[in-house]
Amino acid sequence: MRICSKLDLLAACLWAGAAVAAVAVSDSLLIRTALGAPMVFLVSGHTVLRAIGVRTGSALQHFVYAVGASLAAGIAGGFALNAAGSLTPLGWALWFWAVTAAAALVAAGRRDTPDLPAWPAPARVRLWQGAAFMLALLVATGAYALAVRDEAAYREFKYTAFWLLPSASGESGRITVGIRSAETQPQLFDLEITLDGQPFAIFRSLTIAPGETWAREIPVPVLATPQKADARLYRPEDNRLYRSVSTLVPHI
Amino acid sequence: MPAHFTAGTRINPLRAGIRFVSAVIGPDLRDGGADAPSQRANSGWIAVLCLTIATALLLVVAGHAAGRRGYDVAPLLFWSGVVLLVVPTSLRITWPMVARGERLFLLFLLAEALFYYKTVYSPTSFINHDEFLHWIAADDLMTARRLFLSNPLFPIGPTYPALEILTTAIVNLTGLPLFAAGTLLLAVLRGTFIGALFLFFESITGSPRISAIACLAYMGCSTFVLFESMFSYESLGIVLCVLAFAVEAASKDLVGRPRLKALGLIALLLASLAVTHHLSATFTATYFGALAALEALRRQGPLRIGARTAAGFTALLAIALPSLWVQARGIPLTGYLGPMVESGFDTLLGKILGAPTPRSEYPGAPDKALYMRLTTLLAILLLALGLATGFFRSLAMAAPSGARSGWRPIRDILKRRWRDSRLVLLALLAFGLPVSVAFRLTIAGWEIGNRMGTFVFIAVGLVVAVSIVHFWQGRTPRGWRRIAPAVALAVIVLGGVASSTINPIHGRYRVAADQASIEPMGIETARWAKEWLGAGNRFTSDRINRLLLASYGRQDVRVRIIEGVYSARIFEAETLGPDEFWALARSDIDFLMIDLRLTTAPPVLGFYFEPWQRQGTPLSGAELLKFNDIKGVTRIYDNGWIVIYDVRGLHENL
Repeated sequence: MRICSKLDLLAACLWAGAAVAAVAVSDSLLIRTALGAPMVFLVSGHTVLRAIGVRTGSALQHFVYAVGASLAAGIAGGFALNAAGSLTPLGWALWFWAVTAAAALVAAGRRDTPDLPAWPAPARVRLWQGAAFMLALLVATGAYALAVRDEAAYREFKYTAFWLLPSASGESGRITVGIRSAETQPQLFDLEITLDGQPFAIFRSLTIAPGETWAREIPVPVLATPQKADARLYRPEDNRLYRSVSTLVPHI
Repeated sequence: MPAHFTAGTRINPLRAGIRFVSAVIGPDLRDGGADAPSQRANSGWIAVLCLTIATALLLVVAGHAAGRRGYDVAPLLFWSGVVLLVVPTSLRITWPMVARGERLFLLFLLAEALFYYKTVYSPTSFINHDEFLHWIAADDLMTARRLFLSNPLFPIGPTYPALEILTTAIVNLTGLPLFAAGTLLLAVLRGTFIGALFLFFESITGSPRISAIACLAYMGCSTFVLFESMFSYESLGIVLCVLAFAVEAASKDLVGRPRLKALGLIALLLASLAVTHHLSATFTATYFGALAALEALRRQGPLRIGARTAAGFTALLAIALPSLWVQARGIPLTGYLGPMVESGFDTLLGKILGAPTPRSEYPGAPDKALYMRLTTLLAILLLALGLATGFFRSLAMAAPSGARSGWRPIRDILKRRWRDSRLVLLALLAFGLPVSVAFRLTIAGWEIGNRMGTFVFIAVGLVVAVSIVHFWQGRTPRGWRRIAPAVALAVIVLGGVASSTINPIHGRYRVAADQASIEPMGIETARWAKEWLGAGNRFTSDRINRLLLASYGRQDVRVRIIEGVYSARIFEAETLGPDEFWALARSDIDFLMIDLRLTTAPPVLGFYFEPWQRQGTPLSGAELLKFNDIKGVTRIYDNGWIVIYDVRGLHENL
């Protein structure tokens, strides 16, 4: 049996209004997602469908068409808001509210707005079946969580990054040297900096723990001609040159 | 047709052979109706299959974890998960006496499970090459809050911004991160696609069973699992395309105002498609154009004039809207697609005519496990069998209802008498499968064959489903007729999974292998660039590091140093020649990034920088490190594998 009420249009308008309010006043991800996502995927398209007056034969058909119409409304919104310079959260919320309200008004004013298709009868679910659904949901969610954890935990390459930059803060009389460890064990280094081949600064026995960043800004003389600064990283355990980087010191 | 032989009858082997072939491939629609009487969905089966799929996904995740660590057990875990994911659900969907609702639920379940399967390869970020391009565009849109921003890695992308518009709309409304918003959108698109495809098939065949099997056969397309699930414009384009088909097919028997209303919705979908994806819009225009032509050719039907007008108007919209968009934005579509199509056709024709193989074809196909190749091959053979036994039967379904015996339906169709032009068109379109497979056998034509598959499989799915229902299974099959076609469909879907990528298991780093080359060290180096150098510096590098720098690093990456000089030229020689030196000095490039891992193996996909610069041998360390000795160039970052050179000093020397 088809549903011949227009209460759905009122509900859609209220939903759109609630989404605008949530975007305007709330930072809650949960509330905004619960109200905002259906606006993009379903609610706006449902009212557009009712406004056009397309008759749908089944709940599946209505849902699929409503998603299609919602996507179309969203795409149109992108161009409209771009023209208005309002591609902002509130701009989007107002766009979907305007589309929903206008389409609902058109649909409510029509005499030949088709009835909604009947919902399919709910399937009878036994206790063990419900438990199996819940278990399946739990296993799938758990598996995803495992995948996220594994991706974050596993690193194929262990390395130490070493850099020398003119200046991180933009000041001309400074250079920045840095070390970042992505190793599994703490590493011990000696660091030597030269300016145009002349020894300029030395840092001995720097211990860098895994995940740690060590960085220093070092004042250097500013000359009329460019100078080249070199930094070398040594590993005291084998007295080997481990990394070497360089930069040009900005001149006057 | 039963034959009665007597002892004196001589059997003519030729005639018997012809009869046999005719019975196998002929247009006989066994048992008439395809569907069993309507019944309730079996919640028990659904519950068990949900649990099976969840277990399968857990095995897939375990397979990735083992693959990352290089354990030998990875393929066993992963592929047992895939088999468990695909086979039981496919068998149930194909089973003859199953309720419409149950088939639909299982189709949605399988489609979303395959999307989950794609997502857990990289569960917290986009990882495929094309996904990076759209991610960068969406990030730019979020930052600048303006459309049509330039994207050097993807020049045509900004003119088709629908995917980015919808994703950023979700981000703005919900506050979700971009990856979560994109994944949510893709999950909804997946479900909508399957729903629309089912409705489309159901409208033209009238059979939920054929429709469900056709949707399942579509999942055997090599692009379904990965390519159409990517954060990329074709994932939205194919959904809008199939939605337009579904709405049009459902309105085929409407007249007057209801038909006009359906046309209104189709126009909305076609307008959205025009700004979403060029190839999907082109295929949609081709489909509606061909449909209008068939309607014009058709002799029979009570609604002929109305149907012709509606088909003509729909075709006009489908052709005009994308053309207007291309004109309005000045999109260089021919320049973008032309070279790819031209070289693909040239290579395929050369192969057919026995011309010498071009140099670009030499690096050969990337290594793929033998069992994956065999599964794909078996799936193609099964599809070919399905096409052979389903083609004339699909045409017979379109014939007038009175003409269902022998070859009469085909004779009627040859006389331009058919009930539904969509069935005729789809049966003919299924011939695109062998063409797309042929293209996939060449390196230059692979892209064409891959893209073709997405659309051709809509027709292939239908023809294979008709073949299974009307020839292999019938209405109430018993014994092998019940099992074998269902197993064959499961193999077809497995073939789609196996052919979707070179190696679906997350393994160790591989050189120039797109997603297999994305790992934490490269990502952290790109993030370092953003943190210590700031965003928006002009960088150039190899294909993978360019993507990482543009996305994670928010850098302005360049494919060309200056007009006409691609970045590969400055990396691929042991010394920097005068032309390359001056090109670099005259350019506005700030930094070069080199990755010494490229020197450890030849590129898996055949190239380090751009697809048209194929290279079979590895780069050398001397080639990449030559910038150490160039005056004005400084080596500002080094992590043992990745080095960043500051080349701004070169510009001062000019």
